[in-house]
Amino acid sequence: MLYFRGCVAREKETNISKSTEAILREVGIDFKTISNEICCGSVLMRTGFLEEAKDQMQKNIDNLKGQKVLVSCAGCYKTFKEDYKEILGVELDVIHTSQLFKDLIVENKIIIKKSESIKVTYHDPCHLGRHCYEYESPREVLKFISSLVEMENNRENSRCCGSGGGVKSAFPEIAINIAQERLKDAEKTMASLIITSCPFCKLNLNQAYIANNNNNNNNNNNNNKQNHKYYKSHDLEVLDLSEFLLKQITSQSGGLKNE
Amino acid sequence: MNSKELETMRISFKKLNERRMEILNDPQTKKLQERVKKIREDSVNNMEELLEMAKKRFEENGIEVFLAENDQKALNIIYNIVKDEKTVSKSKSNTVSEIDLAKFLTDKNINLVETDLGDRIVQLNPTDKRPAHPIGPALHLNVKKIAEIISESLGQEIEPEPRIIMELVKANVIEELSKCKIGITGANSVAAEDGSLVMVHNEGNISLLTLMETHIVLVGIDKLVSTIEDSISVIKLETAYATGTKIPSYINVISAPSKTADIEKRLLNGMYGAKKVVVILLDNGRRDALKECLWCIGCGSCIVACPVYNAVGHEFGYKGYLGGRGVAMSKFIKNEKTSFDSGLYMCTLCGLCTLECPVSTPTSELVEKLRINSQKAGFYPKAHGVIKKNIKSSGSPFKS
Repeated sequence: MLYFRGCVAREKETNISKSTEAILREVGIDFKTISNEICCGSVLMRTGFLEEAKDQMQKNIDNLKGQKVLVSCAGCYKTFKEDYKEILGVELDVIHTSQLFKDLIVENKIIIKKSESIKVTYHDPCHLGRHCYEYESPREVLKFISSLVEMENNRENSRCCGSGGGVKSAFPEIAINIAQERLKDAEKTMASLIITSCPFCKLNLNQAYIANNNNNNNNNNNNNKQNHKYYKSHDLEVLDLSEFLLKQITSQSGGLKNE
Repeated sequence: MNSKELETMRISFKKLNERRMEILNDPQTKKLQERVKKIREDSVNNMEELLEMAKKRFEENGIEVFLAENDQKALNIIYNIVKDEKTVSKSKSNTVSEIDLAKFLTDKNINLVETDLGDRIVQLNPTDKRPAHPIGPALHLNVKKIAEIISESLGQEIEPEPRIIMELVKANVIEELSKCKIGITGANSVAAEDGSLVMVHNEGNISLLTLMETHIVLVGIDKLVSTIEDSISVIKLETAYATGTKIPSYINVISAPSKTADIEKRLLNGMYGAKKVVVILLDNGRRDALKECLWCIGCGSCIVACPVYNAVGHEFGYKGYLGGRGVAMSKFIKNEKTSFDSGLYMCTLCGLCTLECPVSTPTSELVEKLRINSQKAGFYPKAHGVIKKNIKSSGSPFKS
């Protein structure tokens, strides 16, 4: 199996790729990564650079063909599954980490006790959910290891985190504003964790959460009236599914054998 | 929009959603939706045939017909009719906003009276005259702000109380209407085979405008369908999605000028209603538009759901064409630069609007397609240019 980490998990949210690799080692899956891994082409596709995206796909294709490709990122997933097929005519055998984790649990390869007391909510990444119809695998994992509470807008009605389509880079403030709205949905569930299965969603939601807290601190320090836009009624942690799963495995086994 | 207006808009949208829930889940509505989807798709596919048919039937019915290829031509046609007037009136219409009629008439010293309450409020707002929603233009203004706008513009201090505001604006509009001989409206749907124009309203204002001496109807050629039955299906679905009600207060169907033959069977035009009805069928880029872009029935569901629209308001849109589909439309109405400026790159491509759209307009796909040409024409965010270069040189979007 090839684990294609994707740009965000490889360079920004590195704990996601580290956690995923640790889980793979834990269950004894033989996998490799590409040391000089490059972008899958998704960001180019979504921002109108079609020719450049094609070039990028050409550069990648030989590394990917003929093997199972595991991805962390919802953007990589859609691109490998749909765009490589449409543009290069190559059907790749691609699997998302949430799907693999679900399989491993169902096959008893990950044995873990359910922590009823941990209340989590799940944010559907647009590219995994609405675009590729994968809603249940991550939920099955979460229900297996914790108590899942749904946000009002879930599955196909899920609200975007705000980072997709090149908005995060071109309009960072809008991306954060949208994520703050999504965090309000999560707040209402009273969950202590918001889990997603896309590094890009995690990055943006987490930055929005930090921005909220900073703003609250500033407001408190200045004795200002709290800005309606910011809130904080209880602590919320943003994690990728891989990070949460590893945390649970580690907390129960007291450490990983291959670490 | 400022943060207060955005908050008011979000609260209005939430109320609207709650109001719509029941009707949108009704199996009858779902059936109607399937029918309308097909009507819209077929009609857009047959636009040229429907256009020929409509022209012929309107003429047979005694309606004057013009085809305007662009906004300038439409403005000239209207100007030829209204040039001797001091004041003309209009109802709410995105198509009329599209050609910038208000500005054009102001420049010619002709006063244009908005008759829709929301439009009138937005028109009197000195700071920002853009609507927040196609059916509820003033959804972003709270009652206090509206009272301020009205007090200031009509020179009369009023309480922030909806009924008081309504009565005052009504009196003011009726007074203005008494000076008018010409009413300008859009149409929600056009039945080509019948030569009929179908208009929807709740306030009764369109009825008043159809009773003027001359009634001008400006309508995009994308609004064509075959029959009145099709038109009624379209507007019923639009009403359900736009307002959460089963049927609007008024549906006007105009198929000819007002006439009588009660004296010796001699035909006379202009009994109570318009003596002259003029239809201007507007192309303005629609013939070159991507077909999916024209399916829209104008309900505004897409922006109510859109995460970006909820965050930034009408900055994400072009004139009355709001949200991603509106931005896509602006490319065809105007050009690449306009759609870039209207927020072509603000869309996160999340796809929620397609799910909420009664005719499933694939907006994220349209936006993705339009970005290719926009980028080639040099209109793309600087940050995307940097990322493209980074990927080319290092393989990573984050490293140069």
